[in-house]
Amino acid sequence: MEAEERKSGAGSKAAAGERPRRMNNKFDALKDDDSGDHEQNEENNTQKDGEKEKNDRDKSQSSIKRKAVVPGPAEHPLQYNYTFWYSRRTPGRPTSSQSYEQNIKQIGTFASVEQFWRFYSHMIRPGDLTGHSDFHLFKEGIKPMWEDDANKNGGKWIIRLRKGLASRCWENLILAMLGEQFMVGEEICGAVVSVRFQEDIISIWNKTASDQATTARIRDTLRRVLNLPPNTIMEYKTHTDSIKAWEEFHGLVNSGGR
Amino acid sequence: MSSAATYFRSPPALIPAKRLHLPEGVALPPGDYSTTPGGTLFGTTPGGTRIIYDRKFLMECRNSPVAKTPPCDLPDIPGVTCPNVDEVRNESSLVHADVEKLGLGEEAQFDMDI
Repeated sequence: MEAEERKSGAGSKAAAGERPRRMNNKFDALKDDDSGDHEQNEENNTQKDGEKEKNDRDKSQSSIKRKAVVPGPAEHPLQYNYTFWYSRRTPGRPTSSQSYEQNIKQIGTFASVEQFWRFYSHMIRPGDLTGHSDFHLFKEGIKPMWEDDANKNGGKWIIRLRKGLASRCWENLILAMLGEQFMVGEEICGAVVSVRFQEDIISIWNKTASDQATTARIRDTLRRVLNLPPNTIMEYKTHTDSIKAWEEFHGLVNSGGR
Repeated sequence: MSSAATYFRSPPALIPAKRLHLPEGVALPPGDYSTTPGGTLFGTTPGGTRIIYDRKFLMECRNSPVAKTPPCDLPDIPGVTCPNVDEVRNESSLVHADVEKLGLGEEAQFDMDI
């Protein structure tokens, strides 16, 4: 099997067993260095003061004064704001410790059904993507990285798809997520579609990998909304295991990060 | 046996029911078909009300005018984001979602005529 795509922001981070805790600070530091993305990130890391839950991690960005993303008049509000991200492995270069974070770009944040379609309708369908790339759709404030506070104790359901199915499955998956079809409270973090050489992978991330009632309900909802054949293999993987596997595969040892 | 006999002899009890008296010709309180008159056990989600949409409704919103305008801050990522993919996208989505779309959106009908 192909090595899993990097979902970690700080490759040099934790020695095995030590949970990376300073992800937010590192992310911000990297962002400052990454002038190419800076404006765009600022643009999209908007603050919200409204009725929706406000995450602590937003506070680290509170110096950035941006208008909150809110539903427009007569638009249909979503339960949460979401942010689209895109990442692509740079051709010809191995996945280095920082390339995941450097290669992931925010596309934008939306607060209503109509705003979702504005983005989605002007993005290519995942099945038409070329190369080794991913779309991520996460709740605003949650980075699509294993070490994010919302993800660090979490995991994901993974479904491998033969070529040709990704676009439709991805659409059904994110519509179910945006429409709150999973009924697991605050547990959902986001969804990913990964376009690979021979297959495509969709996954949905939740906060608490140890919560079996939640993960079972997510699995059953996935089966329903994706209309999967009964023999479809679904695999649950904790992010802790993903981090370990990634470090083993890349022979990483702690070399710099805290 | 004796317990079964006891069962059959026990006095019947009415199943509790709520009867709502509405004026002639009025089926439900106007304008609010998502609420059971008088409230229901399932009227609230534990932990608070959630905004739930099904797939069909979300797909219908796709045809609203605002949904067709690209966001002004859409980053230009070649091969990924494109302000001009509208036409292509609507056609391809018709192919894969024709069952859901036919008869729903005016747009589907329109595309079919062409």
